[in-house]
Order: sequence, then C-alpha cells, then structure tokens
Amino acid sequence: MTRQQAEQKLKSIFGFSQFHDNQWTVIDKILQGQRVLLIEKTGFGKSLCYQFPATQFEGVTIIFSPLIALMRDQVQKMQELGIAANFISSQHSEEENNQTIEDALNGKLKLLYIHPARMENVKWLETVRDTNFKIAMVVVDEAHCISTWGHDFIPSYRKIINLVNLLPLNFPVLATTATATKRVEDDIKAQIGKNITAVRGNLLRANLNLFVINVQSEDEKMIWLAQNLEKIQGTGVVYTGTRVNTEIYAKWFEYLKINAVHYNSGIDTETKKEIEQGLMHNEYKCVVSTNALGMGIDKPDIRFVIHTQIPVSPIHYYQEIGRAGRDSKPSYIVLFYNPNYDQTLPLSFIEGGRPEIKKYQRVIDAIKSERLGLHGVIKASNLKQTEIKVILADLIAQGIVIEVLDGRSKKYEYRFNAPDLDTQSFEDLRKAKLKDFDEILNYLASQTCRMKFLCDFLGDNLPNTCGVCDNCRKRNVQVAVTQGWTDKLADFRETYFPILEVENKTTNLINGVAASYYGISNVGQALHRSKYENGGDFPDWLLRLTLKAFYRHFGKEKFDVVLYVPPTESGNLVKNFAEKIAKSLSVNISHALKKNRVTQPQRIFQTKLLKTDNLKDAFIIEKPNEIAGKSVLLIDDIYDSGATIKELGKYLSKLGAVKVAPLVIAKTINADLRSDEDKQAINKKQVQPNEVSVVITKIEAATKQQPAEADEQIKVQNALKEWRRLKAEELNLPAYAIFHNRTLLNIAQKMPQTVYDLLDIKGLGKVLIKKYGEDILEIIKQNKQ
Amino acid sequence: MKQHTETPYWITLAHLPKWGAEKINRLVVKIVHDNQMSLEAFFQAENEWKDKFALSDADILDLQNAKSELPNNAFLAEDLLSQGFEIVPINSPEYSKTLKANLKLKAPTLLYVKGNKQIMQENSIAIVGSRDADKISLQFTDNIAKKASQEYKVVVSGFAKGVDKQALDSAIKYKGQSIIVLPQGIMTFGSGIKKYYKEITNGDVLVVSTFHPKAVWNAGLAMARNPIIYALASEIFVAQSAESGGTWAGVIDGLKKGRTILVRKPNEGEKNANLILIEKGAKAIDFEGNIIKNTEAVESTQKLSETSKENGIEEVISLLEKQTLTPKQILEKVQLDMSGKELAKKLKSLPNIQSIKKSNRIHYFVKQKSPTLFTSQK
Repeated sequence: MTRQQAEQKLKSIFGFSQFHDNQWTVIDKILQGQRVLLIEKTGFGKSLCYQFPATQFEGVTIIFSPLIALMRDQVQKMQELGIAANFISSQHSEEENNQTIEDALNGKLKLLYIHPARMENVKWLETVRDTNFKIAMVVVDEAHCISTWGHDFIPSYRKIINLVNLLPLNFPVLATTATATKRVEDDIKAQIGKNITAVRGNLLRANLNLFVINVQSEDEKMIWLAQNLEKIQGTGVVYTGTRVNTEIYAKWFEYLKINAVHYNSGIDTETKKEIEQGLMHNEYKCVVSTNALGMGIDKPDIRFVIHTQIPVSPIHYYQEIGRAGRDSKPSYIVLFYNPNYDQTLPLSFIEGGRPEIKKYQRVIDAIKSERLGLHGVIKASNLKQTEIKVILADLIAQGIVIEVLDGRSKKYEYRFNAPDLDTQSFEDLRKAKLKDFDEILNYLASQTCRMKFLCDFLGDNLPNTCGVCDNCRKRNVQVAVTQGWTDKLADFRETYFPILEVENKTTNLINGVAASYYGISNVGQALHRSKYENGGDFPDWLLRLTLKAFYRHFGKEKFDVVLYVPPTESGNLVKNFAEKIAKSLSVNISHALKKNRVTQPQRIFQTKLLKTDNLKDAFIIEKPNEIAGKSVLLIDDIYDSGATIKELGKYLSKLGAVKVAPLVIAKTINADLRSDEDKQAINKKQVQPNEVSVVITKIEAATKQQPAEADEQIKVQNALKEWRRLKAEELNLPAYAIFHNRTLLNIAQKMPQTVYDLLDIKGLGKVLIKKYGEDILEIIKQNKQ
Repeated sequence: MKQHTETPYWITLAHLPKWGAEKINRLVVKIVHDNQMSLEAFFQAENEWKDKFALSDADILDLQNAKSELPNNAFLAEDLLSQGFEIVPINSPEYSKTLKANLKLKAPTLLYVKGNKQIMQENSIAIVGSRDADKISLQFTDNIAKKASQEYKVVVSGFAKGVDKQALDSAIKYKGQSIIVLPQGIMTFGSGIKKYYKEITNGDVLVVSTFHPKAVWNAGLAMARNPIIYALASEIFVAQSAESGGTWAGVIDGLKKGRTILVRKPNEGEKNANLILIEKGAKAIDFEGNIIKNTEAVESTQKLSETSKENGIEEVISLLEKQTLTPKQILEKVQLDMSGKELAKKLKSLPNIQSIKKSNRIHYFVKQKSPTLFTSQK
C-alpha cells in the first residue's frame, strides 16, 4: 500500500487527511510485517500507528496496555468511528470479559485491548490458542514497562516479552512508549529482538512551563499551595510521595475550601472510578494523589502537575508531568524541593526496593518444601505481602520459581535444577537507580533550560531551549511565609484527626478516629514513654487530644458503654485511659472484655493475615447479654493493621451490639502503608529533618522490641551516627553519601557481629563493607551491652 | 535460547493433522539435518518448499494452514513454558536415546516434559500390567521397582491404576527415579504434578507426554501412550496381562518389533494371560525377576484351550487386515467356539479393530498395524 492509498483510507476511516512522517514510517513497516519500537512524546498520535494497520489487517490486533482508563477511552473513540474494538480488564465482570473474548474469536473485533495481568485469564488462554482465532498483530503499549532498567517495570510484562519472542518472523509487532532513555531503548530492542527497528521522535513538550521551588519545610509547600493553587487556571494533579500525605494535603485544601480529593492505591475501585470520572469532568480543582493516578488518565486539559516530593529519577518525572497539557495548551509544572529533607523518601525507595537476601531464601525454602499459593507463602515465611510479591517476581524472573495456574488460583513451584539467586543484578540495578537519582538532583540544581535537561536525559539532544521554564525566564519562585498562614496551618494540624476505616458489611463497626498519626507529632514519643520507659499513665494532654478527636469525628453521638481492648503486655495503661475517657464523656465503662486465651503481641507478625489468625476468637466478654442492643465506644492505644478492632467488632456485633466505634490515641503510619508506593514511607516528610531518625527509632522500638533492646539499639545507632558524621567530614561528603539513615537503622536493629552478617544488611553492598565494615563492627562491639 | 523461541514451530509441526510421526520426522531430517535450517527459517522459506523439500501440493497446503496457526501456538508456547514445562524435540541431545533407538523414525517428534530431563538418559525398565491387577502382581511390581531402584535404573510407567501406579509409588518409596508417560496432554496433568511435586522438584520424577499439551485423556490416547512406555525402557516387565486391552496389545506389538519382554510366570490358578504371552515369545521370569529357562508351566490344558481360542482370534485379525467382514462372514471362514455376538464383543475390545456400518450391518477391519502415536487432539 502506498502512502497516498493509505491516506485515502485514513481520511475515510479516521477523518484525518494525512499521517505525520514518523507515523507513516512506522505504519509502512508494520504493514510489511516488521517489528517496530516507537518512542514519541505524549500527544504525537502513537495509537494511530496501530489503529490504522488494525483496520487493514485480517484478524484481531491485540494491544497489551497497563492503563485501564486509556484502554476505555480508546475503545470509546474507536467505537465512535465505527471500528469494532473492546477491552478486557479487571473492571469488567467475568461475563463481560468472556463476551469480549468470544467476540474476538468470532471475528467481530478489529482491536482488542488487554491488561498484561489478564494474560492469565483462563478463557483468554483457551481462546487465544484456538487456531480459529485469527491474530493480526501484537502491540505493546507503554513498552518501557518491559525493561527492568525502566522506571515502571511491571512483572507481568515478562510474559509479554516471552510471547513476543515466540511470535513468528514477519508477524507485525509494535512497541510504543513516550519515555525511554537510550539504555531502556537498547534493553527493549534486545528483549524483543528479531530485527526490531526503533523510530524515535523528539520529546520536547513546548507547552509545559517547568518550575522548581526550593523550600525549607513541608509547611512552606503547604503555604505556597494555599496561596497559589486557586490562581492557576483549570484543574490538575498534586502528587505526594506517600498515601498518608494524599489525605493530609487533601484535608488541608478542604480546610481552605479548595475543592480537592485524595486518591491512592488503598482506595476501593468504585471510589477510584468516581474520582477519575470527577477529574475528567473538572469536578475538582485538583486530585491529590500518589503516582497511582495518571497511568492512563487521558485528560487533554490537565493544566497543572505539582509534586510535593521529588521523584527518584528524571524519567519518572518526565512521565508524570507528561500527563499535563496533552492539548498542547500552556500548563504549569511545579516541583517542590526541601534540600534538607526531601532526599530521604526517594532514597529509601531505592535502598528499600528489595527485601534482604535472607528473606529470598525463606521464600525459596517455603516453596521448595511445598507447592504454595500467595497466602501459603505468606504464612510459611511470615513476611509482608509487599515483600513477598517483590521476591516472587524476582525469583520468577531468575527462573528459580514458576508461577502456575491451578484451576483459577495461582501456585508457586520451585523449578527443578533452578539456578542460584543472582544478587549481582540487584546491586547493578540499585547502582543504576542511584545514578538516576543523582540526575534528578542535578535537575533541581540546574541553572539552564529544564526541558532541555529532561530531553537530553532521555537521549533526545534538544538543540534549543524551551524558553518557558523558570531558568529560561530567569524567574526564581520563592515562598512567602507569613504569620497568618503559619497560624492557619497550625490550626489545621490541631483539628485534623486520622480516620480509622473499619466499616464493613458483615459487622456493626463504624469508622472511628485517632488523635494523631504515630510518627508525625510527639504523640508517638509520649506513648512509647508510658509503654516502655515506665513513664506512668498516658499524659493528660493525650486525653484532651483524644477527646478533641472524638468530638470532631463523632460530634454529639451517644454511646451506651465504653469498652477497652484488653492488653497483651502493657498492663493497665489502656484501662486507665479508657476510664478517664468514659468519665469525661459521662458514659459507663465496662471491664468485662477479656482475652479468652493467650495471644502473641501483634507486632511480631509481619502480615495482616497472621495478625488476624493470632486474634481469631481470642476475646470473650463476661455477661454477654449486657452488650445486646448497646452502642459501644471501643478504646485502644495504637491502631496498626486494624485486626484487633475488626476481630472485636465481629465479636461484639455477634453479641448484638448495634454500633461499635473505635477511638484510639494513634494510628501507625504503617496502617496506611500497605502498598508498594508507600513501603518505605515510615520516613515521614512531615517530621522535621533532625527528628527523622529519632522518630524512626521510636517507632521501630515501640513496635518491634523490648525496652532493653531498644536502649541498646539507640546507643549503637547514636554511636554510628556520630562516626558517620566524622567520616563524612573527613571525606568531605554529605553524611548520606557514607550511608543512608535507613541503613544505619538496619545496622542498629540487626547488630551484625561478623562481616558475613553485614552482607545481610539492606543498603550495605560489598564496596561499603570493604570500606567501612571493620569500623561498623567495632562500634557495635563497643556499644553493645 | 533458540530451542525456546522455536517452541511454537515444533508444536505446529509435531501436530500436523494426519501426517503421522514418520512423515513429520522425515521432514524434520530434511530441514535440520540435510539443509541445516532452523524451523523458523524453514517456515519463512515457503517458496523453497516445493523444490528443496520435494513437498506435494497437498503437503504444502497443510503446512500453509499450520503456518497460519503459529501466532496462536506462540500464545500456547508462552503459557506452556511459563508454567515450567519444556519441550524436547527429536533432534535434541536431551531426547531419550532409548526411545529413538526403539522407534526410529516412528519416534514422537516432540516430547513435552516437566522435571529432571537427565532421567531419560539413564538405564530404564518399564513395568506394565492391568489396571485391576491382583495382589501378587502388585507385590511383584513392588519387588521389581525395588530392585531397579537399587540398581539405579529408572522405572517407566503409564500413570494408570494398578500396576502403573504401583510401579511409580514403589520407585519413589525406594528412592529411585521414575518417568511418568502420560495418556493426555501435559498441561492437563495439574493434579498429578501437585501430587508428585516434591519428587519432581527433587529430580526423581520426570513427566513426559507426546500429545498436544491441552489434549484431555481418552482411551485412544491411553492406547497410543503404551508403545512410548515400552520404547522408553531397555527392559520391559509385565506383571499381569489380560487377553485384551492395553497391556496385551502393547506386549504383542513389542514382540512383533523384536523386543525382549519379561513376563511374570503366574502361579497355579491365576486367571490372566501371562502364560499365553510367554508362549507367544515373551520370556518367563520369577517373582524376583530372574529368567526361567524352560517355560514348563505352559502346559495346563485350560491354558491350551485359551491359546487355541487366541490363535483363532489371531487368524481373524490377519483376515481383517485384508478385508472388511461382518462377524457372521468371519465365522464362516474361521472355526471358532463362539457366537457371532460373542465375536463382535471380542472384536470391539481389541485396540486395532475398527468398525463400519455397511448395508445396515456392522463390518470390522484392522485399523493399522501399530497404535497411533500422534493425535492432533486439542
């Protein structure tokens, strides 16, 4: 087909009169059955490069995409053009997905979009290998997800690589991405192989106005946003580094009467859909989100993207800001940077991205001895689900473990004759990520065109500058902190209380409230002092704060009785506290709730599953009849996974309680950190720089150790910190360059005795051990009691 | 790995409808040996098929149809490989040398396996027998499996009830190694893999199938699987055989091919066809597996009458190799002590006999000489 012929068809089917040159280059190759990797910026029209050939081929074009919202939008557009298209996703019912697959089999579709994870759908597997199912072409959208060197590697893409390698020669394959460095490009080409040609366009987004705002605290970020958010036209996205911060920033905007909503991967699918739709229809000024939002939000007029936390690499950044201004109209891109503190979170993502090696061995041993599902692995290894998922993905990638389908459930098998675990690749990746992180620091410090910096990083070698970024315009944006705004922020903080989301359909639990997060104020320290340092009852200011939270959340709601969670270890602290609460609220207190059997302290369990098992049927109440028909206020000190409250809610509902409402002093940050995006976010940004390690120590000590061990740990940690300070001075380096706070904490927790023990410390590679290992061991020896 | 990327091509070629192993293997020889080509290159070189490979128009049409299925088979191959199954093509050094030596060009083009492939290169014995074997046959099986395991010989069995299952379980019990030859596609064997997970991951069990990976069990596949069991082993032990069915057909087939087959000498009063097989040329062995020089036991009158009846059936079979007949027509030509109805029942129980309705009467004929190894079931 000549270009002229193709463009005639383009006009009649799609209504466009011509292709861009690069579009035709790609389409021409695809029509000849070649393999192409297309790297073009957002808005270029990459999808036409497969949509057009799909209309010309006999059979179905299969498009693998991780972006459900994007699939939905594209399918809608295709259908509007009269082109038969549909998509399979987790957001559809099984019947709907099956019908779509059936339609594809019967030749009723030209384009079928599918999420890579759906590759395991049984019906899909049966259909796609049915030789009556005519497959015309395979498209890999967001192809950078193939590369482990990329910023968004998705394990299920491994199946796509394997598939593409198995597809015959002269079978058209198109891989597309808007963000690939030269290294990622080479990696994709190597993995997809078979004579693939790369077509790369220029990645300049001339309509994006890039700004970096240096700040000295989290307060400054919040104040700048309060002063300026409403001034930016249109709607946009504020990205935070953690889930907790999505909530805090959204509440701050709500306090300021700015129409905002928070979004993160912890939110249920239905609500997520509503928020996505709301964003599409400009119902909010902004959505405050982790990076969970955006993959696939195909909104042309996002007018601003603001990051309150620096990303881990320029490519992550380019990808995230790329969601703004797809309509080519001016859009504003702001990146806040607190040089004293903001490196902590991304560095902890990089350093903490992989679990310790011995945890890999635990998973291997468990799977070796038994063929297990995910829950089985969790139970057998007592590791967190997030860690296990990372470990399993690595073990599958290295050919040590096999993922098989047993009916509809996934099982993990050990491969006979499996290779040893290759840890060098982890170390190489860690180094590459640190190098990329250095580049984002260079971006922040850059005095030249910021867009050119990003494009150059991506391998684009932009000849010109953008002319619109802060550096091109010579505009240094600063935050004006006034007393009025400081007071307003303080008022917000004192009146903001975390919600305990425990409502469910099977019990009479209602959502409760905590007086604070454990870790963003002095509440955690006060709790720790009382619980582990013989500090006596919880102080009265905690009582006042908790009552304030109660009134804010429950208002004048009446309760019939106050119950408290019987302790495992901490004596009468909760009992005494509950008595005071009951007295203040003039509600009767009952001491009837007891433990039915001995339970283990919840903190020793790493997973929700094991925590739930530990408490199952563990409670009993004397005189159960007294609970029937009552509304119960349930008091505890710390809310972590929520397993205790949920178990009690179930038990009390069974006894006839009409309402069970939890009220606690502190909600741990971990309680909100059940996803990859947050796994290292214990290093909260809200804490001022000099508080970070203290708070970490306190949290870890409070949740993991006995007081004597905690003291010893703090002693070792302080000694290590002092040594690190001196070493950094000696080498003229920043302290984190010796090693990171998190590593320091790991050492203090593990107390390694030998060089071999050091190898197990997350964040300590062989090079660091060679340089500093002896010093570290000596410090531990001297400070260990 | 080249072999991995060629998996869809091997799958496509190995299950070419109506081609049969020998024809496919001859083409494989032309491709990989004579022309030193990969399968991928062969499928690309469509214009050379006629001249270079001397393929007929009908064959080319078959291959063109098969070629259009390559993308589908790529999806299948991805699923297969990701679930830890492997393929061993006939030209692979990992392919069982015993199997190739025994079946030559009729050897399966492709083996689907899971587990320790090295087991295929070890000395091996097969223990076969009825699904409803007697206690003594099961004890014999246990005994032979124990001996084999002690001598580091691999026990090949067919994963059926009775003797097969006993052979496998005993080999495992005595810390030996086993090959399970499946009567179905390997991807339909989830429950078995679950059951023998430990042995597979420890390298003590290899699961082998020659059928399309998704083919579900059927009697035809079970029959076609038997010659593979025999051919994978250097020695064949028969614990117990009835006068018809898989074991019987397999032994007869083995004897025709000149294999040495060791049959347990039955005790007095046992109701099975072991003695008949011994009489037909199998070697008698005792409970310990030792060969008995003189088959003195082949003397009982009952057995002789059974033998004559069997000889009669043999005569019927050779007749049906040449023509298609009704039971009545057969009884007119061969003198047998049975009614037409009984003969029809007997013929239906034989693996190689097929029936066809002509002029409202059922006619019988011999399907082919050896059981089909390859079925393109999906």
